Amino acid sequence: MPDQANEFLKDYQAFAQQSWDTWMRYLQQQPGASGASAPFGFNPATAAPTDDLLTRSLASLQAYGAWLQQVAGAGAGAGAGAGAGPMMGNLGNLGNWQQPSTMQPFLAAFSQPFAQTVAGLDSASAFGLDHQWQSWLYAMQRGGMGGMPGVAGMGSPGPVAAFGLTREMQLDQQALAAAMNEYAQISARYQALLQQVNTQGIARLQEILGQRVESGKQIDSLKSLYDLWVDAMEEAYSQLALTDEYREVFGAMVNAQMHVRKLQQQQTEQMCRELGIPTRSEVDSLGQRMQQLRREMQERKHESAQADTSVVDALQAEIASLKRELAANKSGTKAATNVRPIARKSGDDTSKSSATSAQRAKATRSASAKRK
Amino acid sequence: MQTPLHIDPQQAFNEIAAFQRKLAAGMQNLRGLGEQEYANTPREAIYREDKLTVWHMKGNTKPTAKVPTLIVYALVNTVWMTDLQDDRSLVRNLLAQGEDVYLIDWGYPDGADRWLTLDDYLNGYLDRSVDVLRKRHDLDAINLLGICQGGTFSLCYTAMHPEKVKNLVTMVTPVDFRTPDNMLSQWVQNLNVDLFVDTLGNVPAELMNWVYLMLKPLRLNQQKYVSMVDILDNPAELKNFLRMERWIFDSPDQAGEAFRQFIKDFYQQNKLIKGDLLIGKQPVDLGMITQPVLNIYANQDHLVPPDASRPLGRHVGTKDYTELAFKGGHIGIYVSGRAQREVAPAIHQWLRERG
Repeated sequence: MPDQANEFLKDYQAFAQQSWDTWMRYLQQQPGASGASAPFGFNPATAAPTDDLLTRSLASLQAYGAWLQQVAGAGAGAGAGAGAGPMMGNLGNLGNWQQPSTMQPFLAAFSQPFAQTVAGLDSASAFGLDHQWQSWLYAMQRGGMGGMPGVAGMGSPGPVAAFGLTREMQLDQQALAAAMNEYAQISARYQALLQQVNTQGIARLQEILGQRVESGKQIDSLKSLYDLWVDAMEEAYSQLALTDEYREVFGAMVNAQMHVRKLQQQQTEQMCRELGIPTRSEVDSLGQRMQQLRREMQERKHESAQADTSVVDALQAEIASLKRELAANKSGTKAATNVRPIARKSGDDTSKSSATSAQRAKATRSASAKRK
Repeated sequence: MQTPLHIDPQQAFNEIAAFQRKLAAGMQNLRGLGEQEYANTPREAIYREDKLTVWHMKGNTKPTAKVPTLIVYALVNTVWMTDLQDDRSLVRNLLAQGEDVYLIDWGYPDGADRWLTLDDYLNGYLDRSVDVLRKRHDLDAINLLGICQGGTFSLCYTAMHPEKVKNLVTMVTPVDFRTPDNMLSQWVQNLNVDLFVDTLGNVPAELMNWVYLMLKPLRLNQQKYVSMVDILDNPAELKNFLRMERWIFDSPDQAGEAFRQFIKDFYQQNKLIKGDLLIGKQPVDLGMITQPVLNIYANQDHLVPPDASRPLGRHVGTKDYTELAFKGGHIGIYVSGRAQREVAPAIHQWLRERG
């Protein structure tokens, strides 16, 4: 059986390599993708920037594949005493699953995927500053600013007092270096917090396994074990993510990163101004003015429509009134004593007409005033 | 000692091998599948302004409803969640019930939209869209169906323009933004949103997606794709999966100023229920909402927890308030089998009873 297990692992690794190569070929056909060679052994730190798309597409499957490999291989040490092969040793010893020493190699297989997942998410997201920082630094170096104190000296002791022609630029660089340091520190706090999820998640997994013993429900596949682990980790993560500490550190991390980016933008804009290139601030400023104008235009259009409506309403009311009078004249000319004076004399038609014109003019003036 | 783990080694070998085999074969199935279509219910654009489009959705039969219903979706993600595919479509189900359905597609903001405020969205775009429908149907008021953030918008709009809304339906809509189980709310409390928007301008969709993935990082970023391997050999399910992936990640950036105000006034200061919210110069008082309100929330919603939605009943002025709890999550309320059976009929019945 141990031979079988070892043979299987060899076959498995060959198969994984083959599978990986196939996926790589598929993904290399996608824009922006490039090659890699290790099955589930991708290391983001050594990846070229063009591998980003590939990393993001496959990170989750890589993490799961790594977990399968680790579960299969983690027991090599623990099970060696029993003379078992790696996989057999691990699974064979799980009768002592409540013993930390027995479980340690096994549980270790669970910690890496979570770290990979979160780190992968973080570095691949718009929050991930690493790539952005590198490309910005590269651009600044190409722009002749690489030798500025503060940029290269990120890890060097405190800022030197600035003076001379480049005094302002030195201060900018020092501010940026300080902001970057602050971000790095807060980011480290954030990562340390996430590590708590590993510990608490694994403890929770053990609790769940204990509950399974009590309820008699068995776990008979790696996938169902993996699903339980996900439940446990998500539960631990959720508890952490709702704490005041997480809220404070998360907020501080985002704020620190925005501070870095803001300073980068300011320096980039300074360079753009010197080169006569329009800056983001200028475009924003134009956009803001434009939007304000559009808002005012819409308001006037709306007021104008309302004013037009009131003029139309006044005219319609006037027409209705005239129709009523006309109808009354036709049907009641004999009872002239009850008819309004303006309808009795021919000369009154003129006065009625001018009164109507005056009303119309008033309505128009009112509408015009509203437009203004 | 008893153990719950009964993983037969040979079975484990087979399981790993099967996983690898499916993974290798899956590539063949993915090849040629291309981009999955959604939103293929027939429709007609009846109003366009900047990047906004108001669509009139067309059913197989003429609508029997006398009052049209305008779906107001959130600015995050796209409205096509309501019409994902033929057999998972709130829109199609509403049309089948006889409703006359319109929806607002906000479009994809870019730098030109950086300065759009909530006032521009609500008293501008939304108000003009409502006016278009009122004029088209020669009605004083129409029905609004607001979804998620769009539900919050619909509440604000109805409070500001009550004469233009006949009935209001809100789905998975946050009202109390400071409940203790609201993870998104927790995360933005210490955010310096002025620095954030001043730095980023519009908020990139990718960043928004990252935040949503971080709500359940393992489940949404790993377990989901591990499970995908099991359906790689099933083209129909794979297409459904890829269609959902497209919807999740094909999302718009957020206009900077509107985002700033939404985070500050709603998430950080919870002004909607405190009653001191201003949109532009107009106060928003939920007590002004006296028309019938149907509030539908999802029991397992991790984005808008039920406790964030349910307080609506305490704050609106209407005496005709109905709550409906759906057994499912924030997305399941549109795409699950249960949703197809329950949600549209419930909305239709409620609307029909109110004319």
